[in-house]
Amino acid sequence: MPDWLVKILGTVYTRMPAGLRPFAKRVFVQGLLRLQALTSRRSLCKGMRIEFIDFEIADLEPFEFLGPRPVDVRVDAQFSTISPGTERAVLCGMPGARRPFPYTPGYSTAGVVTEAGAKSGFAIGDRVAGRMSHSSSGLLTPASMFRVPDGVDMLEASYIELGIICLQGIRKSGIRPGERVAVMGQGLIGQMATRLARLAGADPLIAVASSRRRASSAVGPGRADEFVSLADDPGALARIEADVVIEAVGSSLAIAQATTAARRGGRVILLGSSRDLGRNLDWHNIVQERDITLIGAHIGALPTYDASPGRWTYAQEGRLFLAQLASGLVHVADMTSWKAAPADCNRVYEVVAEGGREHVGIVFDWTR
Amino acid sequence: MNHMRIAVIGAGGIAQRNAIEAVKSGAATVTGVFDVNLQAARDLAAKVQAKTYASFEEAIANSDVDAVMLSTPHHLHRPQTLAAAAAGKHVLVEKPIANTLDDANAMIDACEHAGVAMAVNYSFRYLPKIQKARELVQAGALGDITGIQVIQHQFKDLGYWMGARSTSPDDWRSSREKSGGGFLIMSVCHNVDYLYFITGLKGTRVYSEYATLGSPGNVEDIISVTSRWGDKAVGTISASSILRGADAAEERIWGTKGTLLINDKGLSLYSTRPIDGKKPGRVHHYAKFEESSWTADWIRAFVEAVRLGKRPEVSAQEGWENLAFIESAYRSMEVGAPISVPTYVR
Repeated sequence: MPDWLVKILGTVYTRMPAGLRPFAKRVFVQGLLRLQALTSRRSLCKGMRIEFIDFEIADLEPFEFLGPRPVDVRVDAQFSTISPGTERAVLCGMPGARRPFPYTPGYSTAGVVTEAGAKSGFAIGDRVAGRMSHSSSGLLTPASMFRVPDGVDMLEASYIELGIICLQGIRKSGIRPGERVAVMGQGLIGQMATRLARLAGADPLIAVASSRRRASSAVGPGRADEFVSLADDPGALARIEADVVIEAVGSSLAIAQATTAARRGGRVILLGSSRDLGRNLDWHNIVQERDITLIGAHIGALPTYDASPGRWTYAQEGRLFLAQLASGLVHVADMTSWKAAPADCNRVYEVVAEGGREHVGIVFDWTR
Repeated sequence: MNHMRIAVIGAGGIAQRNAIEAVKSGAATVTGVFDVNLQAARDLAAKVQAKTYASFEEAIANSDVDAVMLSTPHHLHRPQTLAAAAAGKHVLVEKPIANTLDDANAMIDACEHAGVAMAVNYSFRYLPKIQKARELVQAGALGDITGIQVIQHQFKDLGYWMGARSTSPDDWRSSREKSGGGFLIMSVCHNVDYLYFITGLKGTRVYSEYATLGSPGNVEDIISVTSRWGDKAVGTISASSILRGADAAEERIWGTKGTLLINDKGLSLYSTRPIDGKKPGRVHHYAKFEESSWTADWIRAFVEAVRLGKRPEVSAQEGWENLAFIESAYRSMEVGAPISVPTYVR
């Protein structure tokens, strides 16, 4: 839409009585979508999706979307997994995550193809996973779509984006067999990173968290050897002396703690997306003086093409995650502590806004 | 001095507004901008066609600067005012004047010693509806004032406390050490100021209950203050930043001859007297007011006061008196008893 038209529409909208605006906006969006459907000869589809309608308020809302282009597929969702850090940050309006409301959260979904574009390479009934919001139905595009291998549970496949986030972090960490690895934070990303670090050869593997509330799911076969609760033993950090520390909390305090937990010359992997401000950190003493290497590992920096040993592409990481699920090397279903009906999203996001309480993986079940 | 050259310190949301209004006032120009976030300083400097300063010290060392406009976190008001005064610069400081009366005293002493003027940005009193309310009260529409009620409720999201709304993010608002308190000192201080302005009364005794029930940090997000205004009127303040879905902002002033209601719709007046050409015994609404730029008015008034060598309209004393009410309210809950609000003595 040209800027001049956006400007005119904006002016009209802001001069309209406030009570009329939601109705006018709905009529405009619906009209525009129908016009696009007509001009592009695409179908008009309907579904239900979760929306953040204001700070700390989620609701299930009907929505409309255009049918697939020749390269896309339309998917009926079976499961979608909450990305707790990112979604909480937007829901609560944290630094770096300010978005206008209503906002459509979610980007990790598994479902079944119900309409396949002629050039998509998929057929109706195919099982797929990829970047789709928390919605009953929607589109998957080639850049963010994976075929789910036979034998992989669809609930596990819905962890696809979280798996990619963790795999690229593990890859950048360069963990070598027998290295002492600590994972700061035992939320969903922390626990997934712990399991993938084990696969990469971490030994011993130490799970570190602010409290013991997620201790039982963090420790056990294929997981961490030891659990450190900072609430019980604040001085434990300096004794960890890890070769590699993976920061999976997303706060400036956790980054500082991660550097403390690393041995002199160790590596700290910044897997969490920091959502607060840390102005008064003594970087000289916590990083430079101790020869710590800080490695940024955010999914946004993943290349689309031109992979290298330390930086695989998004597509490569996604295929690997699903292959690991298929081979049984990785399990994530047991991390699902809450399989919620989408209609319960309001209650679910109240818990997410509070920090998730004892929950690890929260998944919406769209088959219910 | 007909024209004041101002160095803007801080480039957050309020600073941007203040700087633009300073230029609009026609009484001042912005010489430069400093912020710890250099990009924010550059962006604001470009908007007001000014330069940027590499540091606060550089800003106040400039001989082409007459005054500083401090739109910085509360705990910086004292050291920045002291340094600016020592450098011979007038001071326009964002509200509240400071976090404590000790800090405010030091700031006032420094400005007096240096012979520079200071004003506090309680510019809401320049809003036409506030000016009208004062005019009506002074005309006797309410008789002797007997009651004052403030209702101020809204929702401040988590990001507000974490600094997410600002161009120079900082979580100082959630720290009592840095901010001096929560919703009372941050927002309701405006209501206290313009009620002082409208009624001509000042709080003399207060008791409060407050808590932090839905926000991070250690500053209050809900507060109730019971108070005596002057030697007769009784006032109440009910305020919070954790109320969802039914924002409320209203002041009610009543007296022996009438009632005045102030809210986002304007003013409503009931008076037993024929005031302002209105019939007595009826409710009259004042909904239409001239467009105004209250911050520009505040700056114009300050420049004029400096030119004439007079006390600025929102003076340091008034900032001090406002803070005296707030500090007493906070302290009353700590000691579990009503507190007499100290009076300004120099």
